[in-house]
Amino acid sequence: MGPKNSAIELKNVRYRAGPSFEIRDLTLNVLYGSIYGFLGPNGSGKTTTIRLFTGMHQATSGEITVLGHSIPKKAPNAMARIGYVPETPHIYKALTVAESIRYHASFFPTWDADWAAELLDRMALDSDQRVGRLSKGETGKLIILQALAQKPDLLVLDEPTDGLDPVVRRDVLTAVLDYVSVAGATVFISSHLVHELERICDWVGVMDHGDLVAELPMQSFKNGIKRIRVTDPPDAPGDTPFVLLSRASTNGLSSGETWIVRGWQAPMTQYFDGVGATIREVVDLDLEEGFVELLRSTRPNPTRG
Amino acid sequence: MFDAIDPRSPTPLYEQIAARIRLAVASEELQPGDPLPSVRQLAAIVRVNPATVAQAYRDLETEGFVSKRHGAGTFVKEVPVKGKSEEMEQQARELVSSLMSDAARRGISAGLLRQALSDELCNGTEK
Repeated sequence: MGPKNSAIELKNVRYRAGPSFEIRDLTLNVLYGSIYGFLGPNGSGKTTTIRLFTGMHQATSGEITVLGHSIPKKAPNAMARIGYVPETPHIYKALTVAESIRYHASFFPTWDADWAAELLDRMALDSDQRVGRLSKGETGKLIILQALAQKPDLLVLDEPTDGLDPVVRRDVLTAVLDYVSVAGATVFISSHLVHELERICDWVGVMDHGDLVAELPMQSFKNGIKRIRVTDPPDAPGDTPFVLLSRASTNGLSSGETWIVRGWQAPMTQYFDGVGATIREVVDLDLEEGFVELLRSTRPNPTRG
Repeated sequence: MFDAIDPRSPTPLYEQIAARIRLAVASEELQPGDPLPSVRQLAAIVRVNPATVAQAYRDLETEGFVSKRHGAGTFVKEVPVKGKSEEMEQQARELVSSLMSDAARRGISAGLLRQALSDELCNGTEK
């Protein structure tokens, strides 16, 4: 996998944000045309990563390529083709909605005025309203509108629906999906709202403490992590064909243990026969459960995220 | 029609969408020649990645349930009666198999399940 297939590529990136937070060795790949869900608890380094590949932070070492441009050297070339929705939107409150859109449009030669007008209508925004007087939901819609109407090859959304009500969240995601249908753009979407990503993403990257702890297609992520109830488990698991993320005794309700495993495939039941254990059941986990179990296993102590 | 699509299910979304359309064809909810929504429309309705819808449509085309007409869209094909009944049987088997694993998880034996199922089926036909 190289920059030719990747819309975003980070290779061995190192960056120190402060005394307590560091990205030591970050390698990440976002394929062209994918919708990449970037998961992680608050403070795990999601926004820092975005600022690194958009050229706002400068890595101490490593290589970053976005849309074929080397970052930060060619960041302006890349940014001209990126629709970026930051965590905290920078907008001018004194402008009206129409003025804000015109101002934003002036930076992008690719701007599609007809489509901006259609989105304005669809999102039921009043073009004469002052931006400072918009509700949180309306502001969210305006920011997405501006990012979409510049017709980006890459959309970078940092918690785009955080704090928005369900109706607005749906409008925002529908507008993004509609753009992807028409333009085939790549989408990089960071969120801690896991269920939202489960519907739309085909790739998942999981950050924790400045590390990318998993990066794989959504389906593999969901299929690979299982909760298995085992009776007569071995004391030492030995050579397992899967990755054993955690094991714990089944909470007193019945004898045996609950194992959380990664990289599971059906023929691996043979392993349990080999060690004299019995599988009681294999439970599929959804994205949120898989995400929680994965983080639990990569952390030395249980912490709240 | 797509209310039952569940992103949390371990069954991939494209397979869920394809299965729902196959069922609609088999039960004649959709007739030969009926147009399917465009990939763009269906992605917006179900709120999924357009690539997921495109994958479902490709699979349906390979299986002979729909055909793509260039520039016009995707249309339901004439499916032989045998194909329709096989599809209904297949979906019935899947329902039962998910019921069985649910029962096993609750410690309900196969015998009890069989008894309950036939009782309920009898009640159902009497209504």
